[in-house]
Amino acid sequence: MRMLLRFGKNRRLRFVSHLDMQRFFQRALNRTGLPIAFSQGFNPHPVMSFASALAMGWTSEYEVLDVKLSAPMGRGRVEEAMRQALPEDLPVLGARMVDDRFPAAMALVRCADYRITPEGEGAPAILAAAEAFCAAKHVMGVRKTKSGEREIDMRPLALSLEAREGSLYARLMLTERDTLKPDVLLAGLAGLAGVEAPRSRVHRLRLLGEDAAGEIAPLMELKSV
Amino acid sequence: MNLSERIDALLERVEKPVRYMGGEYGAVVKDPHAVSVRYAFLFPDTYEVGMSHLGMKILYHTINARTDALCERVFSPWVDMAAQMRAENVPLFTLESRSPVRDFDLLGITLQYEMSFTNILEALDLAGIPLRREERRSGPFVICGGPCAFNPEPLAPFVDFFVLGDGEVSTHQTIDAYKAWKAAGLPREEYLRMVAKIPGVYVPSFYNVRYNADGTIAEIAPKPGTDAPETVYKALVSDLTHADYPEKLIVPYGEVVHNRIMLEIFRGCTRGCRFCQAGMIYRPVRERSMERLLDLAEKLVRATGYDEISLMSLSSGDYSCLPELAREMVRRFAERRVKISLPSQRIDNVLTDTLRETQKVRKTALTLAPEAGTQRLRDVINKGVTEEDLVRSVTDAFEQGWSAVKLYFMLGLPTETDEDVLGIARLAGLVRECYLSLPKEKRAPGLRITVSASVFVPKNFTPFQWAAQAKNEEILRRQQLLRHALAKIKGVEFKYHAMDLSYIEAVFARGDRRLADVLERAWRLGCRFDGWSDQFRYDLWRQAFDEIGLDPDFYASRERPDEEIFPWEHLDAGVSREFLLREWKKAQNAARTQDCRKGCVGCGMRRYEGACR
Repeated sequence: MRMLLRFGKNRRLRFVSHLDMQRFFQRALNRTGLPIAFSQGFNPHPVMSFASALAMGWTSEYEVLDVKLSAPMGRGRVEEAMRQALPEDLPVLGARMVDDRFPAAMALVRCADYRITPEGEGAPAILAAAEAFCAAKHVMGVRKTKSGEREIDMRPLALSLEAREGSLYARLMLTERDTLKPDVLLAGLAGLAGVEAPRSRVHRLRLLGEDAAGEIAPLMELKSV
Repeated sequence: MNLSERIDALLERVEKPVRYMGGEYGAVVKDPHAVSVRYAFLFPDTYEVGMSHLGMKILYHTINARTDALCERVFSPWVDMAAQMRAENVPLFTLESRSPVRDFDLLGITLQYEMSFTNILEALDLAGIPLRREERRSGPFVICGGPCAFNPEPLAPFVDFFVLGDGEVSTHQTIDAYKAWKAAGLPREEYLRMVAKIPGVYVPSFYNVRYNADGTIAEIAPKPGTDAPETVYKALVSDLTHADYPEKLIVPYGEVVHNRIMLEIFRGCTRGCRFCQAGMIYRPVRERSMERLLDLAEKLVRATGYDEISLMSLSSGDYSCLPELAREMVRRFAERRVKISLPSQRIDNVLTDTLRETQKVRKTALTLAPEAGTQRLRDVINKGVTEEDLVRSVTDAFEQGWSAVKLYFMLGLPTETDEDVLGIARLAGLVRECYLSLPKEKRAPGLRITVSASVFVPKNFTPFQWAAQAKNEEILRRQQLLRHALAKIKGVEFKYHAMDLSYIEAVFARGDRRLADVLERAWRLGCRFDGWSDQFRYDLWRQAFDEIGLDPDFYASRERPDEEIFPWEHLDAGVSREFLLREWKKAQNAARTQDCRKGCVGCGMRRYEGACR
């Protein structure tokens, strides 16, 4: 049995790196007293993975941790144990118990919803550029990967983009093959607007996957996959 | 913008913002309006260093266990953050509630190392607290404790009072006194009179120091009318088993120096190494009972989720029932994948077998500290390690699969000759021979021997408090002598340190009140984080001494006559002056003194009620 835990990462902890979050959750799981499954080998560790890494500096209300349990547990108990084991700036926002055959959370992610709030002088121009972006057929940008820089067409990777109340609301692709990161999108919008890319706050609102019928739905609500 | 938002804005621009973040699991956040005493605890170094410090964990826990007080943490902002804070007018703040330190009632600072003294002035200045006690009309009282509080004089004008010895009880007494003082609405000075009556508390402003024409001290005496004691005795917690110990810990996000459960199994050391200040000032040995340790280990594993427990003390192999403790720990925790670790300096066969069977002991370098290269010099410093011990330890280790050995030595010990220096190289060669004497199939490949030689710094309240530190040129010559000798041995790496830092450390380790002006001058010139060699500015320190007109050699490089009055003469660390002098004389004759577990050596601790059986 596995638990999918949805939690948030508040602004105070935005500088905690993904690697440190992994170490932190290993210890957090140790102190839950839950029957966590451990890996075999020289240095056993809890069998767990995050659905998606959150970049340093970003906040979120939809991070998903996938943890394997060695014995069945009720959702209520798991949620309560996690609440006890996490500090207030990593709030527990839900849990779901799934079968071992259920695909790994990481494999389910298709895209994510973000709220991106540009700051400073360039902000209005960036917000205004959202319309031009949506109207365009192609918007070229640069994606940095481990193997180097690669030119990509950002336009199809942004499933939706809208400016309202001083922020951009964007649904962006998030798979191994097709990914558009909010900072790359911002650079693209800055290019369209003819301004420097401004500093901005990035907040993840939702991680989404695709169900058997091809419908996009939030990860925690996916029915048949 | 409120302070928290202004701090947030700075964090975007500094390296390692996690240092200033707070919000860790286990941090205690209380409502400031619900308590009567707010205590800020400053560790005057970086977060990574400070979060590894056991004393801070103990005091944080014990203060926060009270319902009428809160304790929040502060660390020295790194130079980039300090610059940003000055530019943006952000005052020094605590991690828990991000409140200005100057709004607290008490500011406790731990003195672990002389080279952190400039960081204390930097912290006061960043907090907006006037540096000198007499300039302070309001704001927190500044309190210092920790090992360097035993020579507090260079900090005397900056600090309201020092707390000598164990803090578990005295900290509560100072908080209780604060409550009483505040309730009575008395003037500031009255609080100092109240705390001066607490065992272990030293109020420097209540004492006059008179100097001789040659700069030595003629007399230290309490000022008339202050009621301050002639001698301040250290605070002593005789029963460690029932003393407060944290049952929860803050679990940091990033990696800190020691990121594990630290279990202090006993305090003090009976071995009597003559150079070692900790071995003198933490006397007598007080063990925590095995039952209590097992109980604490259980609670801490549950509360933190750590997978490693380190059994800590000055010499963990000396715990009276260590094999039983280690075996029981392994029995209880192995299944939960919690490792038990011991400082590797003394390898006990029974113990390594126990640890090896049940868990995977990491084959990191075996660390041994013979400290000196010849038996004669080891006898001078009363380091009870023989060549046979060393040979046995490394041979055992090599047989068990280790192939890396670190050997720690000091250069410049009293009476050291070239023969002693070359003896270090001889020992390194011997370790190599031990390795080669094993058949190839019985040893791990890739022998690595690291010889590390630090510069000896005489410390107060040790038998070497009378000794001169060797001069710069002489240390350089001995370093080169050793370097050439070691170069002839294959597979040996030699590490040694620049002399300058140890020289300034030696000045402050036995300094008097007049050095406060040098300290302040050095800080104004830009000295801080002096313990970090990349930040240490010897040129600025020299300039500070010149400008104030004090000669550092007077403090560091001068052998003191037997009868000289020391700047700490009015303080009592437990060991008596008579004992230390006796040890100093024996050292010069290379005469050993036994471990006091084998029989009392008359160190003076028996003057403390209930200290020794």
